[in-house]
This record gives sequence, C-alpha cells and structure tokens, in this order.
Amino acid sequence: MTNEVGIKVENLTKIFGSGESEVRVLENASLEVKKGEFAALVAPSGAGKTTLLMMLGCVIEPTSGKIWLGDELVWDEDHWSTPDTRRIRREKIGFIFQAHYLIPFLNIVENVKLIPLVNGWPDEKAEKKAMELLDYFDITDKRDAMPSQLSGGQNQRAAIARALSNEPKIILADEPTAALDMERAVSVVKMLRRIVEEQNVAIIMVTHDDRLLPYCDKILSIENRKVVTTTQSAHLIV
Amino acid sequence: MINLAYKDIAHSYLKFIVTAMGVGMLLGIVLIMIGVYRGMVIDAQVLLDDIGADLWVVQENTLGPFAESSRVHEDLKNTLWVNPEIDKTAALAFLNLQIKTPDGVMKRVYSVGYDPHGDLPAINPERLVAGRSIEKSHYEIVVSEKLGFRLQDKIRLGRNIYTVVGITKGAVSSGGDPVIYVSLKDAQELQFLYSNARIRNDRARGLKVDADNHLVNAVVATVVKGSDPDAVAENIRRWKHLSAFTVSDERNILTKNVIETASKQIGMFTVILVGVSTIIIALIIYTMTLEKIKEISIMKLVGLPNMTITKMIAQETVTLGVLAFIFGNLFAHAIWDKFPKRVVLEMDDAWALFSIILVASILASLFGVYKAIKADPSAAIGG
Ligand SMILES: Nc1ncnc2c1ncn2[C@@H]1O[C@H](COP(=O)(O)OP(=O)(O)OP(=O)(O)O)[C@@H](O)[C@H]1O
Ligand SMILES: [Mg+2]
Repeated sequence: MTNEVGIKVENLTKIFGSGESEVRVLENASLEVKKGEFAALVAPSGAGKTTLLMMLGCVIEPTSGKIWLGDELVWDEDHWSTPDTRRIRREKIGFIFQAHYLIPFLNIVENVKLIPLVNGWPDEKAEKKAMELLDYFDITDKRDAMPSQLSGGQNQRAAIARALSNEPKIILADEPTAALDMERAVSVVKMLRRIVEEQNVAIIMVTHDDRLLPYCDKILSIENRKVVTTTQSAHLIV
Repeated sequence: MINLAYKDIAHSYLKFIVTAMGVGMLLGIVLIMIGVYRGMVIDAQVLLDDIGADLWVVQENTLGPFAESSRVHEDLKNTLWVNPEIDKTAALAFLNLQIKTPDGVMKRVYSVGYDPHGDLPAINPERLVAGRSIEKSHYEIVVSEKLGFRLQDKIRLGRNIYTVVGITKGAVSSGGDPVIYVSLKDAQELQFLYSNARIRNDRARGLKVDADNHLVNAVVATVVKGSDPDAVAENIRRWKHLSAFTVSDERNILTKNVIETASKQIGMFTVILVGVSTIIIALIIYTMTLEKIKEISIMKLVGLPNMTITKMIAQETVTLGVLAFIFGNLFAHAIWDKFPKRVVLEMDDAWALFSIILVASILASLFGVYKAIKADPSAAIGG
C-alpha cells in the first residue's frame, strides 16, 4: 500500500427523485481507498452499494459532494470535471457490473479486447492481453463463442477479464463473484489481491460473502446513509 | 478496431435481410409507380414518333386528331404536296374499336388507317416482330402482339373479314391501348360504316345516303431538308384555313392536353407515395435504432465514445439502404412487365429515390442514436 489516493469521496449525497417519491441513498458519505488497497463494500440489499459504485464510475451523477479518482477531482459538487466521463471510465477504471453486460453481438475475445482497441492499442497487443486474461479465467476455449452461448459464471469471468483488459488503476466490482462457485470466487479474489499488490491498484468490491473478506484491507459498510470504514490486515498473497 | 456495424449485422443477419427486403419492396413499388408515370408520357408519343412526320395538318380550329375530333379531305395531301417545301405527305384515319381477341375477350384497340402504297408508311418497321406491313388495299390487318393473334388469323371488323399479316410490339395509342393498322380505305369504311338496314331506311326517308367516304382525320407531311417546319406550318395556317402543328406542337398537345389529368393523377400519387414511403422507412430505421437502446447502453457503460456508437448505427443504416435499394431494383425489374401498360424504369429515378431515402434514413437513425445516447444508461438496462 502506498499513500497515494486511489479513490476519495467527501460528503457525497445522492437523492433519487423528489417530493413523495424521494429516495435518499447517501447523505454526506465520505471514504478513501488508497492505491494498493483492496476494500470490500458490505451492506444490505438496497443500501446503495451499486449506486455508490455507479457514481464512482462516473455513470450516474451525485447530488452533491466531491469525488477524486487518483489525483483528478472528477465530481465537484455539481459538475463532472470533463463532459466526456466515458473517457475516464475506459482509461482509468475497470468496472465489473452486477450483470455481465457483455456486448451480445461480439464474441468473447472481441468483448475483452474492445476497450483496449478503443484506447488505441495495436491489435496484436490487445489480442495478446485478451488471450492472457481468458487463459487466466479458464475460458480460452470460449474465445469465439457469443455471450449467449456461455453459462452465467463463464460470462461473469469474461466480464472480469474485460474489466482488467485496459490495465486500470481503479477497479470497481459489483458482486463479481456472485455467479461463481466458492472455489472460483476465491481464485478471482486472490487474483484481484495480486493485482492490488503488483500493480498498485485501488479496488472496491461489493460482496455478500464473508469468506472473501479476509483478502481485503478495508471493509466499507453503509449505515444510516453514511459509509463506515473498518481497517484490518489482509491475508497477503505470497 | 473491430467493425461493430458488421458484427451486429452478422449477429442478426436474418432479421436484417428481411428488413432490407421489406424496405426494398416498398422502394420497388415506388420505382414501378414512377415507371408508370414515365410510361404514360412515353406512350402518349409513340404513334407520333412512329409516324415520323414533321407536320400535322388537321381541321381548322381543332387540336386534332388525338385531342379533338378532326376531319379533313383526303385530297389535302395532294394540295399540300404542291408546296415546294413539303417533301412527303400522307392521309391518316384514326378510330377506336373493340376487337374480339382469340380468347374471346373484347378489347379496346386504336386503329390507324394509312395508305399502304403511300409515301409515309405509318408502321415503324422496327416494331414489326412477325409478318409484314399491309400491302393490299383491303382486308389486311397488322395487330399488336398484346392481342394474342397469330399470323393468318381472321378477324371480323364491321362487315368484312381481315387477315392478320403482321404483328407489332410496343405500338400503343396515347391512352396506352394496343394499336392495329388497316389500309386507309378500310379505315374510312369502318369509320363511316352504316348497316344495310340503316342505308335502306335512310333511302326510304329520302336522306342522302352516300356518306362522304373521302374524309380522313389528319394529313401529315415531312418537309424538305433545310426548311423550317414552323414556317411551313405558319404558312399552311394562313393560307389554307387549317390547323397545322409541328411535331413538337403535337408532342405538347399530347402530353399537356391529352394525358394531362391522367398523368397529373399518377404524378401526384407518385409524389405522395414517395413521401409516405420515406416516412415509413424513416420510422423503420428509427425504431430499429431504438431497439438497440440496451446494446447502446451497455456500450456506454463500458465506455465506448459516442462517435463509435454513432458510426456503427450510421454504417448499419447505409448498409440497409444499399441492400434495400438492390432488392427494390430487383423487385421492380422482376415485376414491371406484368403490368398491362408501359412501365419505364430509369436508373436516374432510382438514384434520386435512393438519395432521398438515404438522407431520410440517416437523419432518422441519427435522431434514434441521439435519443439512445441521451438515455440514462443505468435506467435503460434496468439497474
Ligand atoms: N434510478 C433510480 N431511481 C430511484 N431510485 C433508485 C434508482 N436506483 C436505485 N434506487 C434506489 O436506491 C436504493 C439503493 O439501490 P442500489 O441498487 O444502490 O442498492 P444495492 O445496495 O446495490 O442493493 P443490492 O444489494 O440489492 O444490489 C434502493 O432503494 C433503490 O430503490
Ligand atoms: Mg446492487
């Protein structure tokens, strides 16, 4: 772990709707995850985990507060730092969504190498990276299959591979292991742990599974619309 | 970079091709409709071009013979011929008739009577697909292939039996009816024919019976090389108390006076059809784009730039347009000759239609993309 900021949030508030249909998800929530730190986000269903991740990933707009990704202040009270928030997402962030969200008309390897290609990687480099990741997640034989031909767990692994394909410095993972069996879930988390250590990446991972918590440095939970941080010493990977 | 448009089309090519075929058929119908309009204008001028005269001389104060009934005396052809600027002349008689085709149906035909021994034969030799022109002064007939007769068939017209000696292709009247040719003498007899009973009856009442059998509907002429048809026509008008039209006057009369309402009708219908199909195609493209809102949301979520998404949709739209254009032309060319009247398919019309449709489609798809891009990605994918 370093002392550099990975993800930092100050007084973040998110209110959906207004009047009778108003939903207050977060109110003045603050948190910080440093580069090289692996944080778990644990909270009951409906507490606002996905909403928080979507705001960190610049997908939905906060109501107020500040968000830093690395040293870039991306959300400042009422505006994004850049109109092209998708650039931040594809260049800095690896996002694993609650559903796999693979592009249905691209095969697995195309899905994985798409973002590197958009980021301007040459085809061989993107292909090599994609094949490495598919190999790691044990779905090399599915490289030419369409997402509709894969099982839920295989698609989820492909989606994780895609999130890692652009070698991001920030990984936001919304229940990445929900569709996997325990053995695979542990192996995915171990892999994320290795990336954290080797590549100095900041990770926030939503999980409902207590057995995965020992691999994390921090546990974030949402209580009374605020984020509560518990620091612990993680099982380091040797 | 991966070509997303190609991948998307390949992923659901059946749906894409069926859509292209549907749009193509619509385009095909529009092309046929434009062709019907063009055919109408061309049909109106077929006889004029086949006869190939420079001047049309008809009854004074009429626009005959196609726009108004006109009668002039047959020997006008000799009177005109005295003019040194006139080269050849011919007297022509025109008449609408019903003819019984070999399969027993009565069909409306337009008969042209001309002098088979004259200087200006009315039959365009290029149109003769079988047999020959009329050679005898009586009871020979040349028919259009559309009527279904064969050479040597016998046809009853009036009191006489005619023998089919020639078959033409493509000769039609200004209204699109098939043309038959008979000798001028036969045509005059058909035109002024009275039954024996009527003649007896008229005689008994003391009426003058022998109808003037030497009337024709028009005398046509060619001018000698180097003369100005307009000046000759003007001359005839001034001195002979007749109406005289040059071939371009006559063309004007045919397209303006004779078929004007009919062609306006078809023309208006064509314009509306083009408008309606443009709207329908634009709507199809628009909904096709909006159908992809989920895929577009996913692409936004993973961080694809708007440009990449827009390019994909625009490429798909153009591909669909090109495919539909090909299908439309194939479709139009497959069915155009099944229509009873002339349909003229011109590539220029097809290209013009293609440009209109393509512009509308691209606008529609861009509007669709705009809406899809503006949509909240997390809402569009349901969470
Ligand atoms: N677009 C929206 N409009 C209105 N309310 C919303 C919207 N998105 C989420 N919410 C509400 O915000 C709250 C938090 O939702 P969120 O999806 O962040 O929960 P979560 O912690 O991810 O739950 P789960 O564990 O079930 O995934 C919920 O009450 C939800 O109904
Ligand atoms: Mg959630």
